[in-house]
Amino acid sequence: MMLVSLCLFLTSTGSFADIGKAPAIHLPAIDGEVDLAQLEGKVVYLDFWASWCDPCRDSFPWMAEMKEKYGSDGLEVVAVNLDKERALADTFLKTMKVNFVVAFDASGESAEKYGLRGMPGSYLIGRDGNIQASHLGFNDKDKAKLEAAIKVLLQQQ
Amino acid sequence: MKAIIYLGVLFLMAGCSSMDTVKPWDKDILAKKSMQPVPDFFENFYDEHIYFSKEASSGGQSVGGGGCGCN
Amino acid sequence: MQLANIKKELGIATCALLQVPAATVNAADSEWDIDTAVLFYSESDNGVSAFEPAIYASKDLGDGQLIDLRLVVDVLTGATPNGAPASSVLQTFTTPSGTGTYFAQPGETPKDDSFKDTRVAAGVDWTLPFNRLSRIKLGLNGSTEYDYQSLGVSATYLQDFNNRNTTFSAGLAFNNDTISPVGGVPTPLSNMRAAGTGTNRVGGDDTKTVTDFILGITQVLSRKTLVQLNYSLGMSDGYLTDPYKIVTVVDQNGLPATSAFTNGDLPYLYEKRPDSRQINSLYFKVVQSLTRDVINFSYRYFWDDWGITSNTFDLKYRYEIGRGYLQPQVRYYLQDAADFYVHNLKLGAPLPDTVSSDYRLAKMTTTTLSLKYGYALGDNSELSVRAGFMNQSVDDGDVLAGTETPDTDAIIVNAGYSFFW
Repeated sequence: MMLVSLCLFLTSTGSFADIGKAPAIHLPAIDGEVDLAQLEGKVVYLDFWASWCDPCRDSFPWMAEMKEKYGSDGLEVVAVNLDKERALADTFLKTMKVNFVVAFDASGESAEKYGLRGMPGSYLIGRDGNIQASHLGFNDKDKAKLEAAIKVLLQQQ
Repeated sequence: MKAIIYLGVLFLMAGCSSMDTVKPWDKDILAKKSMQPVPDFFENFYDEHIYFSKEASSGGQSVGGGGCGCN
Repeated sequence: MQLANIKKELGIATCALLQVPAATVNAADSEWDIDTAVLFYSESDNGVSAFEPAIYASKDLGDGQLIDLRLVVDVLTGATPNGAPASSVLQTFTTPSGTGTYFAQPGETPKDDSFKDTRVAAGVDWTLPFNRLSRIKLGLNGSTEYDYQSLGVSATYLQDFNNRNTTFSAGLAFNNDTISPVGGVPTPLSNMRAAGTGTNRVGGDDTKTVTDFILGITQVLSRKTLVQLNYSLGMSDGYLTDPYKIVTVVDQNGLPATSAFTNGDLPYLYEKRPDSRQINSLYFKVVQSLTRDVINFSYRYFWDDWGITSNTFDLKYRYEIGRGYLQPQVRYYLQDAADFYVHNLKLGAPLPDTVSSDYRLAKMTTTTLSLKYGYALGDNSELSVRAGFMNQSVDDGDVLAGTETPDTDAIIVNAGYSFFW
């Protein structure tokens, strides 16, 4: 019941929710690589970004804050970069506090699998590995809503 | 009337728009300032002002902006 | 790729690609995005010169709301043609105040240099989003100079479709202008009178209103191509005449018919334009990325109910060079004359209802060539300078030798500095 209302809640802000098993992610990351399958049991905030996307710049500090607050409760943040040139992503990251996983997918295949409709675009994946909600864009108004959604999912087992 | 034909072209373009959608992550080039229709506000503003003052035609890009007693 | 100019290069992927100054698109982090600029315009042959400093500031207020402000000061000096063509004889005119006199030597195109003008214009736009895909931009603008005031409002609605590959826009604007010419509004088609003999004036001020509509579509065609198509309609009503322009009455020898007029009347009549005008334009633009460079081309077809049609071509090619760029530009403009445009009036011929000799309503061509250089000074700032030459050439058709409308040649230089604050 809560999850359904959660989906509707986030969907109403103009997002496109792909409910169901989260498509596999196996990509190179800053520290080696990331495999979504290995994160089952955790709540994953999966974010797609690019260096040339302005609101993405605003979402990074918030994602770092979430990871700091809820990491010990089982939150994992995975930010997938879609820049076609790795150098652009690196320059962007140099100015950011990054305490979460940053992966790289220049081909955009993972975004394609998730049916990403805009950037930044994020998906909340529950401990069961299913997509529970998705969200497009990022501004101040969204922070509280997204954080509330994360807390709800963390409470599940 | 000419206007109707041109409006028709406009709507045709809207129809064409559903083909070959460009994915959000493929808009890196389009996001560049140099790819905006008007990358430099004042370059465009000055040109519009000069030609409004020296020619009989004006506008086409936007509305508003005011008039002047340009002699 | 200019890695250094991050902030300025950031575009919002999910943002409309239409009629939003790039400065607004890149506004971020509660900072003001500021553009300062200055224009120098100077015509040869004692023509008009303009010095125009300006400032633009834009800020993201959060939640998709944007505000932008602009202020422009326009200082004009020099002489402007009064509408009368050159003649093989000396010509004498009266200044707008009715008390001064100025001359045009034989062979010289008459220009009134008592004309000095400083204009201040300001505007503010507020963009308010309805949801992620639609928003409205509300604008207020005004300008004032010693003989002209303008006040206007505008509203433009923008809607994105198709994964934000298409943006539809619809805009509406109203402007109200007050014209307060020096010496008061002249009586149309009456004679200019010799200095000190009184003036043929209706007197005082007059007004005009302008209503504009625009419909537009911006469409992403590919990863590297963007096109835009706009249709505009404008309606003006009220005093559309230029209070300072006259039309020469010539005798059978083609000379100003000075002796045909008595009691201080000069052989020059104040012009009269229709009291309404409907203008239309179809504007097309394409922006195309080529490896590193960018081509920006626009074409406008314009037509109105005064008989004027025009074609405007504008092509810019941006060569990226390290942290800077070089951008040559060519603009080519062709205009057909207004129905009521004449080179002069013949003595004894019936007076038309509307008439003007203002060369800006004539059949003419404007060609402008310019070169711009821009350079990224830091992550968030850019300096640019553009220099160009403009030539305006009127096609007089068959007119008496020595009375041809001369070309207007001007140098245009503008520089800009943009930064975040």
